Amino acid sequence: MRAASDVGGTFTDLVYYSIDESTGQSGEVKTAKADTTPPNFEQGVMNAIEKVGLSPRDLDFFAHGSTVVINALTERKGVKTALITTRGFRDVLEIARGNRPDLFNFNFRKPAAFVPRYLRAELNERVAFNGETQQEVDLAPLAELLEYFKSEGVEAIAISFLHAYIQPANEQRVKARINELWPQVSVLASHEISREWREYERTNTTVLSAYVHPIAKKYIESLEEKLARGGFDDKPYMMQSNGGISTVEAAKANPITMVESGPASGIFAAAYLGETIEEKNLIVLDIGGTTAKCTLIEDAEVKVTTEYYIEKDTKNPGYPIQTPVSEIVEIGNGGGSIAWVDQGRKLHVGPQSAGAMPGPAAYGKGGTKPTTTDANLVLGRIDPASFVGGEVEPDWNAVDTAFAPLMEELELSKEAVARGIVRIANANMTNALRLVSTNKGYDPRDFALMAFGGGGAMHAVALAEELKVPRVIVPVNSSVFSAWGMLLTDLRRDYLQTRPGLLSNEHTEAISAEFSRLRAEAEADYRTDGVDMTSAELAYEYFADMRYTGQEHTVKVSVPMENDQVRLGDAIEQFHNAHEKRFTYRLDAGVEIVNFHLVAKVLVPKPALAKKPFTGARLEDCVLHTREVDFDQHGIHNAVIYDGLKLEPDMALFGPAVIQEPSVTLVVSPGHRVTLDDYGNYHVELNVRQIPQG
Amino acid sequence: MINDVFTTEIIKDSIVALGDEMFEAMVRTSMSPIIYETTDFAVGATDAAGNLLAQGNGVTAFLATLDTAVQSLLTHYDIDSIYPGDVFITNSPYEGGGTHLSDVVILVPVFHNDLLIAWTVNKAHWTEVGGAQPGSVSTVATEIYQEGLHFRFLKLYEKGQPNASLIDLIRTNVRLPDSTIGDMHAGVAAANVGAKRIGEIVDKYGCESVLFAMDDLLDYGERMTQAELQKLPTGVYESEDIVEDDGLGNGPFKIRVKVTITDDKMIADYTGTDPQVPGPINCSYTGLVTGARCLFKAVTNTDIPANGGCFRALEVICPDGTLVSAQSPAPVSLYYEPLIAAIDVMWKALAPILPDRLPAGHQRSVGATFVSGVHPQTGELFVMGEPLVGGWGAAEGLDGDSGQFCCANGETFNIPIELFESRYGLQVNQYAFHNEDGGAGEFRGGKGVVLDYQVTAEEAFLTYAASRTVSKPWGMNGGQEGSNNYAQILRHDGSTERYHMCTTVRAQKGEVIRLTTGTGGGFGDPAKRPREQVAMDIKNGYVTAEQARKYYHHE
Repeated sequence: MRAASDVGGTFTDLVYYSIDESTGQSGEVKTAKADTTPPNFEQGVMNAIEKVGLSPRDLDFFAHGSTVVINALTERKGVKTALITTRGFRDVLEIARGNRPDLFNFNFRKPAAFVPRYLRAELNERVAFNGETQQEVDLAPLAELLEYFKSEGVEAIAISFLHAYIQPANEQRVKARINELWPQVSVLASHEISREWREYERTNTTVLSAYVHPIAKKYIESLEEKLARGGFDDKPYMMQSNGGISTVEAAKANPITMVESGPASGIFAAAYLGETIEEKNLIVLDIGGTTAKCTLIEDAEVKVTTEYYIEKDTKNPGYPIQTPVSEIVEIGNGGGSIAWVDQGRKLHVGPQSAGAMPGPAAYGKGGTKPTTTDANLVLGRIDPASFVGGEVEPDWNAVDTAFAPLMEELELSKEAVARGIVRIANANMTNALRLVSTNKGYDPRDFALMAFGGGGAMHAVALAEELKVPRVIVPVNSSVFSAWGMLLTDLRRDYLQTRPGLLSNEHTEAISAEFSRLRAEAEADYRTDGVDMTSAELAYEYFADMRYTGQEHTVKVSVPMENDQVRLGDAIEQFHNAHEKRFTYRLDAGVEIVNFHLVAKVLVPKPALAKKPFTGARLEDCVLHTREVDFDQHGIHNAVIYDGLKLEPDMALFGPAVIQEPSVTLVVSPGHRVTLDDYGNYHVELNVRQIPQG
Repeated sequence: MINDVFTTEIIKDSIVALGDEMFEAMVRTSMSPIIYETTDFAVGATDAAGNLLAQGNGVTAFLATLDTAVQSLLTHYDIDSIYPGDVFITNSPYEGGGTHLSDVVILVPVFHNDLLIAWTVNKAHWTEVGGAQPGSVSTVATEIYQEGLHFRFLKLYEKGQPNASLIDLIRTNVRLPDSTIGDMHAGVAAANVGAKRIGEIVDKYGCESVLFAMDDLLDYGERMTQAELQKLPTGVYESEDIVEDDGLGNGPFKIRVKVTITDDKMIADYTGTDPQVPGPINCSYTGLVTGARCLFKAVTNTDIPANGGCFRALEVICPDGTLVSAQSPAPVSLYYEPLIAAIDVMWKALAPILPDRLPAGHQRSVGATFVSGVHPQTGELFVMGEPLVGGWGAAEGLDGDSGQFCCANGETFNIPIELFESRYGLQVNQYAFHNEDGGAGEFRGGKGVVLDYQVTAEEAFLTYAASRTVSKPWGMNGGQEGSNNYAQILRHDGSTERYHMCTTVRAQKGEVIRLTTGTGGGFGDPAKRPREQVAMDIKNGYVTAEQARKYYHHE
């Protein structure tokens, strides 16, 4: 039995399946939900396992993703953390980058540093930009400093020295001494967290990782213990933000790698599925209750970046986290997003959300404001008879009450307001999708849109029309896609190293050598983690962040290698092409590598995806009923409503239609055709026939 | 034509999003750190007549420079001589779009068929535009001719063809031609990204709908602004302040404002400000309008993206030929110092009636610092230019922010030390808050910063200009005033020189260039600050024990 659990804000999802010995395929994918149980999140995981009558001893493989790190950060529930840095630079953490995104707010305050000034200490030491140690660190004041930290109740220490990304010896000396003097305290040094330059970003990342370290460590250990007590013989794997899983040891050493694990697994699952069904170029959209997240996958490759922030928006500079995270654009637009009108009489949707409690007005749990979900209900897109999987009878009075103020302010009917809400929500999501596609030089016509999450199927077709994406794919298990995705990932470690240098013939050896060094480091790290390197199947991917000489911003390109040697000419050409695609021009200038980026994967054997049973049923037998559905610009139509669970591969149907599953509603406007592939994924091909009369 | 209300909203949002799209293009394509790190630029779009539709975040100090550039351009060219594929360039200080010569405006007309429907515009600080000094900044210029190349609304491209002679002229007359030409390409690329996107919006919704939405967007800006303006108490509010020095030893100079708030208007009248001065601290009327708009926006609606409609209720009055309405051939390199003073004096006039919107005085200076030399490893010329962070004022209920760029900046980033040291022949010895007196109050002023550059090149040359070098950021309600901005060179012989304005002062290898920025003004009587908070300030090192005794009566 293979299982994965994804701890969300409200629910803990469990996804599991057994493997059919005869075919090697995975069996039917089953799911379970339990309440999330803060602060002992692992309890919710155990509850979900027990709820479906399983025991940890039934499991052969268990992957786990959790919001424990991001929650500890955003709720400021980490431990008291101290910082040790280079003499003269303790205020770097507070000065940050000095920027004020809220331009015209002259009463702006930047977000507070995670370490107050009295816990930011300095030691005499210095490394020059070229890696030369000018001054070995003076450890003499350390004993007294640690006594001071102890007396202040410090539980974690971050060490961050200038240029440690290239010469970490001074950090290593300090860490070793702290381990001797105070073995119980959590100590993280910046070179263990990031090997990239930019001292504020690296320092802040180290501080944040230290801040959550004791909590994440305790959490992972409790989970390990509970699973072991239940008879699980192996170790669980932890989902990371880079889209791979890691051993528990690696996750405990640098917990910040788990910061965005939920969205990452969904995106990597999309890439994996895309490769399986030969859709390697995807725009991916995950619509949840509060937010929508999107990204772009090119040639089955997910883009991983270390320019990631938490709490950043148009008014707040946020906090940078220099750890590999799959590139995501997230906006405050989900099913629960609230519609409102400002004093200039402009309709907005989000970013405020009704969340799970009180939820949309139609839930009848006290929600007084109209949400996107309410609007979809008003327009007949959501089936009132199977609202929230048939568990809730829509509270139409509450919906009417919620819509009334907007109808009055805009002087429009309820249906017109609902159409407006859906259209504005779609426009917001279109703008986000544009940020990851057209704004980066990609033509949406070369992509398919893969949509999942609770609201993905509802909006996907309309968004594809807007962006001129020719096809939409709604995958099976789309409402638990993130948890399911964890079962498709491999062990993954990303090694980034800033080492600026020209891409030229005389540097070819040095470039190849740097990648070799990183490979050796990766193997050593996996060995330290307890991965059996005799049987492990290792796979490497080579990237580099490159730029033209004189430029600062870099483009990540895949580096072609042959027999461990870099193919220099091809690498340069890759960069020119990538730069031109991204920035519209190429320069006749030297090309530099700034960061080396090695991805080292230990491949996890995975069963083939389960195929949807084929019985030869007739399409007519899958029809639930017909009802009037408002397709906005396409008009109001009497649409055929299908039971998605009964649909089979090889079937084809046309819009206007709605396909319903207990937690999926796929809205297909007129003119589009839906087919199912062997696995049961829906493929919507846009504009294949004339729109019939409604 | 689709003219239902929601389609119009969606078109408007798409137009506003143009600002972000062009901003991104500019950051990513630029070759000079002053653009991509300090984001000393603005991007935007106007309608055909030059009404601002959208502007991308960069710095506040360019708020009136995109729309007025288009408006002035239209006085230079007949509409019949503007063609699809044209790209215009201007950096003329005394006309629309003008600041100083280093800030170059690129303008691209957007056509639908043969109809001019919009402009995409950007203005960016180029690393080099020639002139007497490296970096094209001087504290000693006496005429504009010494400050660099001057483009008055020229065609950089006509009908898609580059003006090769002009580009060659630029290349020949600047010190870092690759960087300068790179800046030019970035500007053209960003404007083209915007123009292309407008074309797509027109293709989708139709020209008429888009033109309708543009007008509607401006009206929306006006409505949102009026709603806030109505909340301000009507009356007449006056203030004055000084700019210390013009770089040639003249000064101080007075800046005056009388702000009148009526039921539906704000009038900022700078009559009474001193005449333009011999040194390069003159600001043109465009700069003044920018300054007044910044403060106007800060006290009305700070949330919605700026557009021309937001400023319909603002009137800016100033006779020609003052320090903030300078005429040719006044030198203007350091125009931003009087511009900031113009913002600050209006701020000081209105702060007493808006204590929730406007804190006490801040460092009030860009503190622009330039260091040039020859890199010891590469042997190439380097020119480092950057603004400095300092302390902001305290407000009712809030201590001031420490280490933030001044009000004329915005989405401006300091240069990471680790990048800085690899790029320039300088090593940074400290980047820290200092403990000079200033900013005491029930709410403390934010801390200023001290930044030490040790010269690792054989020699380096410092150009520096600031204000609030003698006067100090103002306190409020009994709060203490802040502290000064200044530069120093710590010599090998142990001596120290202090500078407020200087051009290419030589420092030798091993000597230290020290830059100090002001602490912000305090708010309220320091004696009212709770004892435990003062104790915490001492523990954090924000206040010394001696300062606590002296200003907070804390033993």
